[in-house]
Amino acid sequence: MARSSKVAASQQRAGLGFVSPSVLVLLALVVYPLFYGFYISMFKTNLRNMWNFVGLKYFVQALSDSDFIHTIGVTLLFAVLVVAGNLLLGTALALLLNTNIRFRVVLRAILILPWLFPDVVVAILFKWIYDPLYGLLNFALTSVHLIDQPIVWFGDSTLAFSAVVLSCIWKGYPLVMILVLAGLQSIPQDRYEAAQLDGAGLANQFRYVTFPGLVPVLAVSVILDFVWWFKHFTIVWLMTAGGPIDATKVVSIDIYRIAFTNFDFGRAAALAVIVFFICLAFSIVYRRLVRDTEV
Amino acid sequence: MIPKSSPRRPRNRLVLYVLLGVACVFVLVPVLWMIVTALKPETDLFSTPPRLWPTAPTLDAFRRVFTDYPFADYFRNSIIDVVAATGISLVFSSLSAYGVSRFKFRGRGSFLTFLLISQMFPSVMLVIPYFKIIQVLGLYNTYAALIVTYVSFTMPFCSWMMYGYFKSIPRELDEAAAIDGASPLRTFLSVVLPLSLPGIVATAIYAFITGWNEYLFALILTSSEDMKTVPVGIGQLIGQYKIQWNDLMAASIYAVVPLMVLFVFLQRYLISSLTAGAVKS
Amino acid sequence: MRLIRPIAAAVGLSILGMGLSACSSGSPSPSGSAGINSTTPVTLTVLSPTVVEKPESVVEKGYADAYMKLHPNVKVEFVGVPMNDAYAKISTLATGGNMPDIFVNSPEFSSQANQLGIVADMTALLGSDFMSGFAKAPLAQATLDGKVQFAPFFTIPTGLLYRADLFAAAGLTPPKTWDEFEADAKTLTVDVNKDGKTDRWGFAMVGTNNGSGGSRFIPVMRTFGAQELVKDGTGWKTSFNTPEAVAAFKLYGDLVNKDGAVPPGPLQTGYAEATTEMATDKTAMMITGPHTIGAILAQNPALKGKFASAPLPAATGHDPVSVLGMLGWSISQDSKHKDVAADYLKFILNKENQIAWNLTTGRLPARTDALEDPQIARPELKGFIAAQDYAFTLPNVTYYPDLQVIAANAYQGVIQKKMTPEQAAASAAAKTETDIANNK
Repeated sequence: MARSSKVAASQQRAGLGFVSPSVLVLLALVVYPLFYGFYISMFKTNLRNMWNFVGLKYFVQALSDSDFIHTIGVTLLFAVLVVAGNLLLGTALALLLNTNIRFRVVLRAILILPWLFPDVVVAILFKWIYDPLYGLLNFALTSVHLIDQPIVWFGDSTLAFSAVVLSCIWKGYPLVMILVLAGLQSIPQDRYEAAQLDGAGLANQFRYVTFPGLVPVLAVSVILDFVWWFKHFTIVWLMTAGGPIDATKVVSIDIYRIAFTNFDFGRAAALAVIVFFICLAFSIVYRRLVRDTEV
Repeated sequence: MIPKSSPRRPRNRLVLYVLLGVACVFVLVPVLWMIVTALKPETDLFSTPPRLWPTAPTLDAFRRVFTDYPFADYFRNSIIDVVAATGISLVFSSLSAYGVSRFKFRGRGSFLTFLLISQMFPSVMLVIPYFKIIQVLGLYNTYAALIVTYVSFTMPFCSWMMYGYFKSIPRELDEAAAIDGASPLRTFLSVVLPLSLPGIVATAIYAFITGWNEYLFALILTSSEDMKTVPVGIGQLIGQYKIQWNDLMAASIYAVVPLMVLFVFLQRYLISSLTAGAVKS
Repeated sequence: MRLIRPIAAAVGLSILGMGLSACSSGSPSPSGSAGINSTTPVTLTVLSPTVVEKPESVVEKGYADAYMKLHPNVKVEFVGVPMNDAYAKISTLATGGNMPDIFVNSPEFSSQANQLGIVADMTALLGSDFMSGFAKAPLAQATLDGKVQFAPFFTIPTGLLYRADLFAAAGLTPPKTWDEFEADAKTLTVDVNKDGKTDRWGFAMVGTNNGSGGSRFIPVMRTFGAQELVKDGTGWKTSFNTPEAVAAFKLYGDLVNKDGAVPPGPLQTGYAEATTEMATDKTAMMITGPHTIGAILAQNPALKGKFASAPLPAATGHDPVSVLGMLGWSISQDSKHKDVAADYLKFILNKENQIAWNLTTGRLPARTDALEDPQIARPELKGFIAAQDYAFTLPNVTYYPDLQVIAANAYQGVIQKKMTPEQAAASAAAKTETDIANNK
């Protein structure tokens, strides 16, 4: 008994020792901002000389505002579509790249390119490609006579939404691709050999060896990718600023406007807190579904 | 990994190449359009219909990026900030990921959960608390400001990813090292770390790119031209009244080059080292 | 989930955090520590959006260099922030106490700046003599509750910019009413090269759903007689939901959908895109300010001399309306060098420097001595100078920028045919009422 408690104690010490640098950073740079955000969400404030306590007023207001609910809906749809696109494209390409084909390095370099560009550049570039007068896309479509008149991509709600989702998938899939590629490398070769000995073809190898091996990587990727794209701001803001009207208005645009155009920081913080809880709820539900047992 | 033998039937091979080819087109068309735009003189930028190739291709925009704007400074700052932040973040994340994957201690679950939770607050609202912290520490408009910021951004995700990779490295290796008398730290450094190279590389790439392309916090936490980073410099090319397209595209191409170099250099380490056949699982 | 520990540990930190948030807004320092003629080195920080734009940056840096030559002990350092991010940065700096000595200000931002308490007493620092040298309209709009908030730097009064050559060729005179405007826009929408496709349109509409688009629509709406926000005895009121406003929304919708006088894609045509439409000879008219001429000529020098300006058309029985579109400079309350800052501002606002600014950027000076100079009263600027007299004072509420977006969303709905003009007007009014209520 004494020995096992000594082991437990040394485990405790070692474990805490290893995580302590990170914990310190997190306390200062994550805990503080989170609590700061929670705190100011209960005030009408400009953060310098006006602090009027309003309690939960902004929360009640937001949750009973149909515009806000609509915005959350738009953001959810946006995040789901982009993450799905990233997953499908990223995983498929990682699988393809992991085979013994020629020019593998060149192909990997090309396929990772979109991720290397800053959001700013991706947004502006695509906005210009979609431009009705000077844009490449309309030019290409009219040249092959698929359409007669240039399409006003950002004038129609559905088209604008699709254009924005497509641009974000363009930017977002390489991260998933890299993660899956690295994950594929850590699946031990002998499992494949065992499966082949049992007579499994490529499809079954994927189903029984590859996919289960990828599950830990994919699970966390999905949560984090969803959370990132749910909170996403820059590309949508620069392409459409939420328009036309509010067809592409994701919730971060609302928060940014309220904070930095209306200077109503308390209200913006309240919306940010709501977003936080939505992301939290999603990850709880998702973890239950995937049953990652280690934690 | 998937068996490295080539697909048996030539038809499968063709399908493979075609699929990859389509993906490359999807990626390269916008990028080529960027390059073409960067080569265009002013008068070509707004022609209708758009010109697929400039009337008189010129490298003026590429030259102007460094002569008309202090991009050399911006690059220096970005390199300092991001290399330091990536290095520190990797160290902290790998240490904590190792601790969490190997030791059972109270607070372990909370720590992991907290890593995920830290990602969930919209960054737009984080700007002000971060600014206050940086300012109280006297770090406004210094390298340390962005280094600290980027470490805090990348560390949670890097820790989670490393945790996943460390988990897949068999414990028996640790135990073997312990029997040989190595301390936990020693085991970490000489046994586990080298084997998790693909995971480290992936997270290093992620951390570097995240820091390199970050805009909002770099904008808020720096003020003088000799501290601004590359994305801030690019953002300034988007004027209130007009966009200098060719300069903007040229600057963006420059900004991507270091990332591409880094990636090409590191991507070969994504090969697994587990085939050393250390342990039968 | 086991969150108890992190939460417990963090509560202590949050208390510390609240402490941080309370005490990090610096206390005001005594003013004017370093005199103008002293030899102690002084560094002036100036937060400016124009210093990152070309060609403005050349002129602005020129000012700083000239001043530093005259006063070798002063160093002028610019904090360049793109205009779109400038107020976000200032608000953030204000919360932490890292304010620059001089920062950009405008009628849209001045109530917020005033409320934040970051503006020093400009009249005391510059002197009432100097203040009387500003043109009346800009100074009036720079004043809140009797206190001058910023030293006006330039104005870009909204008016109608049009191609005088195309008007002459079509035998048209600048429109005085919106009916004339619609007719002119249709006349000027032509197929120049006779290939069956329109390649020049009458009107370059800025139709984006942001301040740029909204700030052009609002004066149009006001020429019909409806106001987005106005103060009466009992408080702020909106007349977004009046027949006059409906007529304005209908005009925007008709110009796009009925008359076809606007190039495709108005909803994503921002200011930069509309300017390009004018520069590439795609459009004949634009609602904008004098600075656009310079931007157009930079893209297409061949159009020099072809532009003219006029005040905006108005609905029958109403006057034109204009927005001054001013930017100015405020001295920060936290500044330790207020006297030197004031001296610098007086320098850059002198007649020579004001004229230089106009010659390079096309913006109108804010000082009367410069405005009366013959170099300023050029033909293409005449209409804009006249438009200044019709400028209205922007309501000084902190949520004004939101009203511009509300207006923009409404006209986008009409253009997209998702709303009738009546519905658009009603929705704009409802949203404005909410903003008013939230800010009582």
